[in-house]
Amino acid sequence: MPPPISGTDRSAGGVLPEIDLPDRLRRALVLVEQLRADGIHFAPIRHHSPACSVALRAQLTDLAPAVILIEGPEEYTHLLPQLIDPGTVPPVAVLSHHREPGGRTTTGFYPLAEFSPEWVALRSGAAGGAEVAFIDLPWASASRRVDQDAESRSIQQERHLAHSTTLQALARLEHCRDHDELWDHLFELRTPAELRNWRRVFGDVFVWSALARSDYELPVLRGEGSIARESLMAARIAEHRQRSDGPVVVVTGAFHTLALIEALAGSDLGAVVREAAPQGGHPPAPVDAGSSWLIRYDFRRLDALGGYSAGMPSPGWYHRVWAGLSGTADPADPADPTVEMLVDIAHHTSRAGTSEVLGVADVSAAAAHAWRLAELRGHPAPGRTDVLDAVTSCFVKDDAGPSPALREALEAGFTGLGQGSVPAGTPAPPIIADTRRRAEDLRLNLTDSDTRHTSLDLRRNPRHRRRSRFLTAMSFLGTGFARRTAGPDLVGGTGLGLLYEEWDYAWTPMTEAELLDLAEEGSTVDEIALSRLRGLELAVDTTAARRSANHAVQVLIQAAVMGLSEHSAGLAELVRTHLQEDPSLASVISAGRRLVGLRQARDQLDLGEAAWIDDLLTRVEPVVAYLLSTLGEGSVEDDEETVDALLAVRRLDGDLAVLLRPGQERPTGSPITRELLRLRASPNAAIAGALTGLAVVDGSGTEEDLGAGLSAQLRTGADVERAVRYLTGFMKATPDLLLHSPELLSVVHRALITLPAEQFLGYLPELRRAFTWLKPRETARLAEQVTALGGIDARSDDLNVRHHELTAADLERGRRLELSLRESLAEDGLADWTGT
Amino acid sequence: MVSTDEIRRPAEDRFAAELTSLADADGRAGNDRPPGWLLSPRAVRAFVLGDAELGVSRKFYGDDPLVDRAIVSLLGRQGLMLVGEPGTAKSMLSELLAAAVSGDTGLTIQGTAGTTEDHIRYSWNYALLLAEGPSDRSLVPSPLHQALVGGKIVRFEEITRCAPEIQDNLVSILSDKQLMIPEFGPNARVPARPGFNIIATANLRDRGVNEMSAALKRRFNFETVRPITDHAFEVELVSGQLTEELGERGEEVEVPREVIRLLVTAFQELRSGVTAGGTPVKSPETVMSTAEAVNVAFAAALEARYLGNGVVSAAEIARQISGVALKDNPEDARRLRFYVDNIVRERARTDPLWKDFFRAAADLWH
Repeated sequence: MPPPISGTDRSAGGVLPEIDLPDRLRRALVLVEQLRADGIHFAPIRHHSPACSVALRAQLTDLAPAVILIEGPEEYTHLLPQLIDPGTVPPVAVLSHHREPGGRTTTGFYPLAEFSPEWVALRSGAAGGAEVAFIDLPWASASRRVDQDAESRSIQQERHLAHSTTLQALARLEHCRDHDELWDHLFELRTPAELRNWRRVFGDVFVWSALARSDYELPVLRGEGSIARESLMAARIAEHRQRSDGPVVVVTGAFHTLALIEALAGSDLGAVVREAAPQGGHPPAPVDAGSSWLIRYDFRRLDALGGYSAGMPSPGWYHRVWAGLSGTADPADPADPTVEMLVDIAHHTSRAGTSEVLGVADVSAAAAHAWRLAELRGHPAPGRTDVLDAVTSCFVKDDAGPSPALREALEAGFTGLGQGSVPAGTPAPPIIADTRRRAEDLRLNLTDSDTRHTSLDLRRNPRHRRRSRFLTAMSFLGTGFARRTAGPDLVGGTGLGLLYEEWDYAWTPMTEAELLDLAEEGSTVDEIALSRLRGLELAVDTTAARRSANHAVQVLIQAAVMGLSEHSAGLAELVRTHLQEDPSLASVISAGRRLVGLRQARDQLDLGEAAWIDDLLTRVEPVVAYLLSTLGEGSVEDDEETVDALLAVRRLDGDLAVLLRPGQERPTGSPITRELLRLRASPNAAIAGALTGLAVVDGSGTEEDLGAGLSAQLRTGADVERAVRYLTGFMKATPDLLLHSPELLSVVHRALITLPAEQFLGYLPELRRAFTWLKPRETARLAEQVTALGGIDARSDDLNVRHHELTAADLERGRRLELSLRESLAEDGLADWTGT
Repeated sequence: MVSTDEIRRPAEDRFAAELTSLADADGRAGNDRPPGWLLSPRAVRAFVLGDAELGVSRKFYGDDPLVDRAIVSLLGRQGLMLVGEPGTAKSMLSELLAAAVSGDTGLTIQGTAGTTEDHIRYSWNYALLLAEGPSDRSLVPSPLHQALVGGKIVRFEEITRCAPEIQDNLVSILSDKQLMIPEFGPNARVPARPGFNIIATANLRDRGVNEMSAALKRRFNFETVRPITDHAFEVELVSGQLTEELGERGEEVEVPREVIRLLVTAFQELRSGVTAGGTPVKSPETVMSTAEAVNVAFAAALEARYLGNGVVSAAEIARQISGVALKDNPEDARRLRFYVDNIVRERARTDPLWKDFFRAAADLWH
């Protein structure tokens, strides 16, 4: 438990009060002096803190060190020439890759902003001619990845929680809402003059972090890897001390400073760290940068980071503050970051095109509000939360919080839209070069960034097939490199009959940027695609209630079209499971259809024999048959869907027969055919009608049978609803039959004519709909045939409707109505309207 | 004999000692006071949020930055508008700020659908008006008028319950910081003295409230007062309020802390729609505010005192929740039953306190 800090004296502006230090800290402060006499100076910092940067710059100017050591993986020392290159403009980051023994890649980012103390250290060191080196464990070091058991992980969680609870309590005492605001309150919001008093600043930061550190239990420190890292850092500091004359400045996160001090000064409390050195001492520093590269970065990603690289929130705000603090601002026109930020937010919100417009009055009110809040809270100038509070009070006019436009403006302002840059020719992560080489090997034209077109003959050209797989993978990953404009889409299940695949592609700086973003997921395109597929696989909902054969098949096909066919074979198991349990006929039919497409494209995907596809197809049949038996419990509204399903099943059955039992003329004997036969006698009239019609088309039934069936269904005294449904089903499934068979037509005609008038009118809508499945020309022909049957001449007036029930009285009434209407219009001066 | 005791004395009386002590501290430290204010802004903040050294109690929980922003708003040209759900202590905060800044919480316009212009501007003693014509004697000043003249804070409670045309009376008064009185002759006006400002409260989503015009909204800084989410705070608050309400009767009944904690837990879970463990529960439509929780506790205490054994148990809480917390919506009864059946039943297995609650609730609703 840190000693209680009684209310701080705000009038002096954000200075830590005199507190009672625990013994350990008091001794540490003595050790600091000891080390200082030996020429080792510490700069305990918070990552990305402008206040620490100002203090550090002052310290470096005063001490003029010969050596500057920075907390960061050792191999980054080899990237120094790039880091100090004037063409490198923050925000930038060093990206590190490490492939674990299991094949998985882990990635780390070491970001640097203009206001990061580490950046100041690098640049000052370069300017002052000091030797600069990174001294932390290499990214690939196994000691970074400690195996933890459940117990030690749980202690770790408790410790972190307790630490954050303490900070919360402190924050509450100071009327701050969280520990970031507390830090601002106590450290960031000191005046530039106070910040240049680096001894005071670093002293306070040291005490602040050491108090926290002293609470951490040893197993937790080990489990986090802190001990191992501090052990190396201490050793390196000692080595540099031996090798060089002149002051050595050590820039590390303040959490580590206490441990380093105790280890280096030979204190018994530092024994743990010293003894953590491996047998035979630490290995020598890496000889090259290994798998690490300098890349440009942006504020948005900086803000979103957590863990190791995390620092202060809202980099956009601190970027503005830094201009004033670092003295790079024009002294004749010192910009007020508060006013600038508020003006930018107001402009951004007003430009969004909503009715919310923030003008000069609002901005001045908010600025005044921010300054008064700062005064109330004892800040020399408005801090981040003072400005945010001013926005809340002055720009928001109801209880729903900031509007979307304002929210966006806040993000743009506080997170910041800044992007850094690295000089041309900086070595880039291999994914860019590897991908480009692969594209060139496939003879794609990348000489410039113009869009090019390629037409791929998948059936006959093996290289085209390889190209197709590469382009599909690039498109799947969203690199924006390639876009398919035409051709078969096996995943979507469309265009399967097309022979050529058409693609547009272009290698632009955007492509490189997208690949760079992907770099954190893997080092080659195929690796990343595989990892995404695994993600998709997991995302396919595996709860029993949501098994979907269709989704599973889509993932499988996606793997196949990208050339990841070994993975496809593995996914077959997933599909099998889903097939077993998928309750939806539509989903299984879709899955079946896609699998048929896949089987037909087996050669063009270079899948070889792929017995697993045939196996899946064989499994589809019985499942469809089983699910078919659930059809028939529908109401009138479902009829359309049901008949569609029947048609799809029939098609699928045909395809499956061709693939699985080639050589047979007609699909007989399959489980699906048997089920369809059984369904012909279904109590659901629509199904019966559809299947009877289909039977005629297939040749397994005769027209006489169909005619007899129709007569039976449509005779007088029959259930009209049933009859109509039968007719509808039949017309949807096989509309042409009626057109081409005069006997059938006369049967239907006779049945409809003899329907009682009331019932006819009642079922007119459904009857109408039954006939909409015909094409317009067919409808016209049918109409001609019907009128012929009825003995009516279509061109005569027989089809005009005549009313014979009007009487003379009606005429009289009509005349009187017209007269009064004319008079009324004339009164209103609208006589022209009557046309007389 | 009619008692002259009041049920509830104004804040400046109840906390007179604290206000004096804060004013003295201001004097000793030489703090600047804004014109018309009785205390410095920091002292006002200390009055609301507490200051252990000066013996000032904390009166508002859960959102310190809100209080900062409110104080700063009052320093400026905008008015302060406190919005939020019922029972979130908007009126209480308004009262505290008025007491600290102006020492007078009595300049209050109580907004209703029947509020007229006269309540906001001024009206007349008609007998005197007829006898003397318009004069200072015949004019009956509204609280707003008095605040302008005296350089004090005027409080306008439930402003959105007034008709929009009535609300808009404020628009030009607040921009010009003066009130025109044409009856007194040409250019007769009442200018605002330093220290004048307005604190309005509104519930923007209730039935029976009107829209505020955009012109009026622009004259105010809006601050949303949210329900308390910190469990410990709310327990503190409920205990404190309960003690105050019980007054002398507090001696006669014992309210164990765990029972209050159970009450606050139930309220927070029903309010937020999710339990501490992450299980979703159905949130009743009626607002489960802290004020309601205090009412439940108070009713439970009374039940224990007069109908029980003098110690409040979870059973009394269960019985009173249905009466106090559920208003007219029958759906809410079902939602509460869901909570009892699923969450409370589970807890009742291991925790004797929840078991008492469950048994009493089960009796009521099954």
